[in-house]
Amino acid sequence: MKMTRYGLTLAALLLSGALHAAESGTALKGDDIRAEPFRDAKKVATLATGDKVNILKKDGGWLQISSAKGKGWVRMLSIRKGDARKSSGGASGLLGLTSGRAGTGKVVASTGIRGLNEEELKAAQFNEEGVKRAESFASSRLEASKFAAQGKLAARPFDYLAAPK
Amino acid sequence: MRHRTSWILALVLCSGTAWGANPFEQELLKTIKQGAQEKVTGRPSIPVEDEIAIGRQIAGNLLGAAALVKDAKLQKYVNNVGRWVAEQSERPDLPWHFGVIESNDVNAFAAPGGYIFVTRGLYRLLQSEAELAGVLAHEVGHVIRQHHLKILQQSKLLDLGSQLVAKNVGGNDKVQGLIGSGAEIVSRSLDKEAEFEADRIAVVLATRAGYDAFGLPGILQQIGHFAKDDGNVALLFKTHPHPDDRLSKLGIAMDDRFDTVKGKTLEKRLYRIKP
Repeated sequence: MKMTRYGLTLAALLLSGALHAAESGTALKGDDIRAEPFRDAKKVATLATGDKVNILKKDGGWLQISSAKGKGWVRMLSIRKGDARKSSGGASGLLGLTSGRAGTGKVVASTGIRGLNEEELKAAQFNEEGVKRAESFASSRLEASKFAAQGKLAARPFDYLAAPK
Repeated sequence: MRHRTSWILALVLCSGTAWGANPFEQELLKTIKQGAQEKVTGRPSIPVEDEIAIGRQIAGNLLGAAALVKDAKLQKYVNNVGRWVAEQSERPDLPWHFGVIESNDVNAFAAPGGYIFVTRGLYRLLQSEAELAGVLAHEVGHVIRQHHLKILQQSKLLDLGSQLVAKNVGGNDKVQGLIGSGAEIVSRSLDKEAEFEADRIAVVLATRAGYDAFGLPGILQQIGHFAKDDGNVALLFKTHPHPDDRLSKLGIAMDDRFDTVKGKTLEKRLYRIKP
């Protein structure tokens, strides 16, 4: 079981350019599994809330999954990543390994960097030098446009979303 | 000037007093309608220099608790991504500032006027530039809808209009008096609805900027399975609805509108933070 899962995980990691994949998930709500990552693609099966899935790959707003109900594509927002604690290690993927995250999902607190609790925030003193430094990195509109062009990011119109009723 | 008065009057009305319909009150209602109109057109309800002065004070205090990560390339990169995202909002002219601060906590903060910070703990969860864009866009959403100013309005900032003199240098005592102790304001919970609204704005701004819309949802999924007792997400979980609820709400709002919209994830361009 374990071997299979690791095998699957590795395969998914190798196949997926995105490295988002190779982890387990749980259905947040009932949703259809489809043959392709499109809303009108052929329905393969239907997931029920709480169904466990293995996430294989990500494509835009869709996740390719395998589950007891079948394999196919489900809307990303219908899936919550992870089920038990064990999934955390896989969840942060390669990044997790390099950033000192253990499989427990906890950050090893060895850097001596403090957390930010309410008391500390309350007691904080104004740091003029800090703000000046932060402000020194500001990007102008022109810089931002150039940066976007380098990444082939093109601005496009898109209307705001209405609040769900 | 009239602008400022209407803002204060609107506050008085919002405080829950019952109103009849004598001429004075009718005039007041008219003024408030104008105020509402200004909101729709995106004009801030307080002078923008005051908004920035408040934000700068909060940013300075936050940096007093957690310093900026000493990595100039990282800070510049975050400003480029953030500014490009903010450009897609109705307030591109604010002096936007972005930064990564030294904390293992998983969190991000916005202060009025366009000061936005993410923690090192959150940054290192990121797997693509689109995810960074999504996180920053959520905070941009708080700034453009003035969510924190609304909190201040509800508490002690009532007389802001008449008191505040915006100063751009040094800690400003008057401003400090208005925001409470230190950077306490950033640890206060916003209205749940404000968080959901910022999420909806985030996916739209990311899309407008050419990114994959699912950057923020991706990071919410990551955070969703942190244990509740994990100290690194304690403040985030305390001040925000659970990521699962945010994902569900976003799912309903996004529906199928993003199905045909492809965007860039730019995994390779994501600046990797040094451990």
